[in-house]
Amino acid sequence: MTARGARGGLAWAVVSGLALLPAAGLFAEPAWAQAAAIRDYAEPALIDSRLAVWIAAQLHLDFAAFVLAVPMFALAIELFGWSVARRDRAAGARFDWLAHEMARLLPAAYSLTAISGALLGMLLFAAYPRLMAYMTETFGPTFAVYPLFFVLETVCLYFWYYAWDRLQGGRKWAHILLGLLLNVFGTIVMFIANSWATFMMTPGGVDESGALVSLYGAVWNFGWMPLNVHRLVANITFGALLCAAYAAYRFLSARSEAERALYDWMGYTGNLIALFTMLFLPFAGYYFGFELFAYSATYGVTLMGGVLSWLFIIQAIVIAILFIGAAYYAWLGLLRIPGSEPQRRLIPLFNVALIAGFMVWATPHTMAASIEESTGQFHPLLGALGLMAPKMIAVTLILVVLYVSYLLYRRAGKVPVVPWARAGARIEWGLIALMAAIIFGLGIYGYFAPADVRIQTSIWQILVLIGGILVTFVLDLFLLRGAKTAAAVRWGSMPRRGQYVLILLAFVIVWLMGLMGYARSGARLNWHVFGLIQDTSASAGLPTLGEAAIVVTLITLVFFALLGVAFAISALSGRSELPAFGEPRRGAVA
Amino acid sequence: MTDHTPLRRQPWVPLPVAVALVVIAAFVGLKLVRPVIPQSVILLYMGFIVLGLVIHITLEDTRIARFSGFFQSGPGEGILVKVERVAVLALLPAVAAWATYAGLRPQYAPPVEIFQRHPTVGEATLAQITVPAWAADPATWREADIAAGKVLYTANCAVCHGENLDGLGPAAAGFRYPIRPANFRDVGTIAQLTLPYVYWRLTTGGLQNQFNSAMPRWVAAPGDAGASALHSNDLTPDEGWQVILYLYRATGYTPRVEALPAAAHASH
Ligand code: HEC
Repeated sequence: MTARGARGGLAWAVVSGLALLPAAGLFAEPAWAQAAAIRDYAEPALIDSRLAVWIAAQLHLDFAAFVLAVPMFALAIELFGWSVARRDRAAGARFDWLAHEMARLLPAAYSLTAISGALLGMLLFAAYPRLMAYMTETFGPTFAVYPLFFVLETVCLYFWYYAWDRLQGGRKWAHILLGLLLNVFGTIVMFIANSWATFMMTPGGVDESGALVSLYGAVWNFGWMPLNVHRLVANITFGALLCAAYAAYRFLSARSEAERALYDWMGYTGNLIALFTMLFLPFAGYYFGFELFAYSATYGVTLMGGVLSWLFIIQAIVIAILFIGAAYYAWLGLLRIPGSEPQRRLIPLFNVALIAGFMVWATPHTMAASIEESTGQFHPLLGALGLMAPKMIAVTLILVVLYVSYLLYRRAGKVPVVPWARAGARIEWGLIALMAAIIFGLGIYGYFAPADVRIQTSIWQILVLIGGILVTFVLDLFLLRGAKTAAAVRWGSMPRRGQYVLILLAFVIVWLMGLMGYARSGARLNWHVFGLIQDTSASAGLPTLGEAAIVVTLITLVFFALLGVAFAISALSGRSELPAFGEPRRGAVA
Repeated sequence: MTDHTPLRRQPWVPLPVAVALVVIAAFVGLKLVRPVIPQSVILLYMGFIVLGLVIHITLEDTRIARFSGFFQSGPGEGILVKVERVAVLALLPAVAAWATYAGLRPQYAPPVEIFQRHPTVGEATLAQITVPAWAADPATWREADIAAGKVLYTANCAVCHGENLDGLGPAAAGFRYPIRPANFRDVGTIAQLTLPYVYWRLTTGGLQNQFNSAMPRWVAAPGDAGASALHSNDLTPDEGWQVILYLYRATGYTPRVEALPAAAHASH
């Protein structure tokens, strides 16, 4: 994009951000009851309003997630590169290139965020006038500050991206500062929007009739923090996988060895970031779920035993594909390291463990059965596997496997030099085995314990996992201190099938985001604002899973089509000189 | 995985044959489990297993070569290899044929039903149910109520739900589809539910509505005056609560509690 184009995009974003302002003022009517003069529903989009809003909202969320997440890790990489540059200029330049490359899709994606956001806002106000009047009434002040932060974010983003080359060297600190501000403003924007979304699920700060008692209570409602945490983490996974897919595409179409090496490295980094953040996602999800259950038992029943319980089986399968795909890519990565045969020998074992773990994790508790198959009961075997306790064992052990894979990757091609290397390695593996055994034991104990104890044991499992990882990782750091590198990573030698996996993963995560968007919104069932404002429109019913799957697939395709356009636009401005790869220090990213 | 040197002799069982054997063994093994595992779950499991195998094969270039090499005939190969190759290749159309047959074969069974273990209730409905003070707190449940609940349970519920609350009463086998009487000892039933929800279940039953199960309706829903005329063996609300207390005491579970009373939501 040229400088003029940039200003165009900027203007677009500002204008569309401001478009929300008059709308917010327009509908500032008194209370819900008095707003009866406003029509309940309208159909501005010619298609079913709910469907229109659904598509616009999900597209907006997809772009927003990308736009929010990428600056986070791009800035982290940039910062890292800056600190490395003092010791090793070439490496510093490489990391700077990587950060810039990750940010490359941002300007175009940002305009699309703004456009889809404006569309969503307009659709909402036009299609649900009464509901939006109520929301405006309740959230008035936040509707006013939201565009403000949005504009600030916009300014920071465009300056951060387009001033990249100018703010180098001695002025790098200013660039980092801009990136930091960008992230702060972006996070604020998301948190504000989250408060509206979660208010609709777990309203707080209002009395029985829905009149506002405390804006603070309405914003900081039950679901707010859990959703904030969940979205922050999930966004990073999402953004990193999209960057990885971009890198894969560039790898596959690369014309020189140097290019291939760089994009291989970028894909690897993206996948690593995604895998790392993905580790926290199940727990963030459970946290959100627990809070919803605590808010209302109806949510518990709807999500786990009722209408949406089948969705979670699909979710489990899709998440399994994500993890397995990411692990597969990581394992393939060992092929880049000559002399990694001893590590590769263990991979089939991990593969079996991972697949077995995910089979348990995706086992439905009750299941679709025909009359011949119906035992009419929880199946003695599957019923047992389908419960929380075995699933927690499966998930945590899967995470152990992924972590150990990573340790092996660090180990590949290296020769430890510390005198206690043999004993150290034994202790390390012993600790990991112990960790796995404790997690398993806790799970078995939890299986037979009452529900409240079971929740305790699952928390302990997570703590053991985190503690074990911390201890062994520190041990590993010392173990490999000054280790001799027998063979350097040959970036660019990754098999092409690995790149296709990255592209597949990007598709899967966008689809998964869509599915979970449906779940989050659908869990309210026939409520606009849960327990307060009922959805009395014609399309109040929950769409079936099949219908949702079709819509979500459609949204995913549209998203990629639009992102493809962004790809194409960003390709117009190629920073042609690539940094030299030279002999990269391995593990420098990790 | 270790045969990166071309000198290593070919393993005894060629890779594709081993893969086919694993798939067949897993499938047959899953089919043999009793009570039967539903087709949908077997499909799910097989999907994972095949995925694992694909990953295994494609992890190493040598393994890919070994896999595809098997399908190319070479000079001087033994008859065994030829037979194996044909067998593996024949497997694919065989699977396709079987799938087609299974799909087209006339079936008289009703379509697969997805039973919702815990149908969703509106907040408003649950809010109408007030737990009597004597039933609200497990710590203060009276032995007399539980004893009365036991008598009522044995008389009314045990035929289906079983003397031991394990869902294996004498009549249970007759109500196999779409779901048997609940096994209260399983952590998936009452242990997950709040008191009002269980009570609501007694007010709705299963026969009369879309939940479609053999569970009768035992107590009148709040405000349903005509209910007792319809159901001769209705329990009074207090009796309903007594049975519920017995269910929990006898299984050792405690009702799920909502972390916050409804009023706290608003003030939070
Ligand atoms: C005719 C057989 C039959 C009788 C008699 C019967 N039930 Fe049931 N009950 C069922 C079936 C079948 C289910 C499982 C399907 C369902 O939940 O609707 C069930 C489910 C339940 C559930 C719901 C469990 C859950 O997890 O949602 C409760 C509670 C229950 N029964 C209580 C009782 C009580 C108390 C009695 C006696 C007063 C009783 N039942 C008598 C057949 C019966």
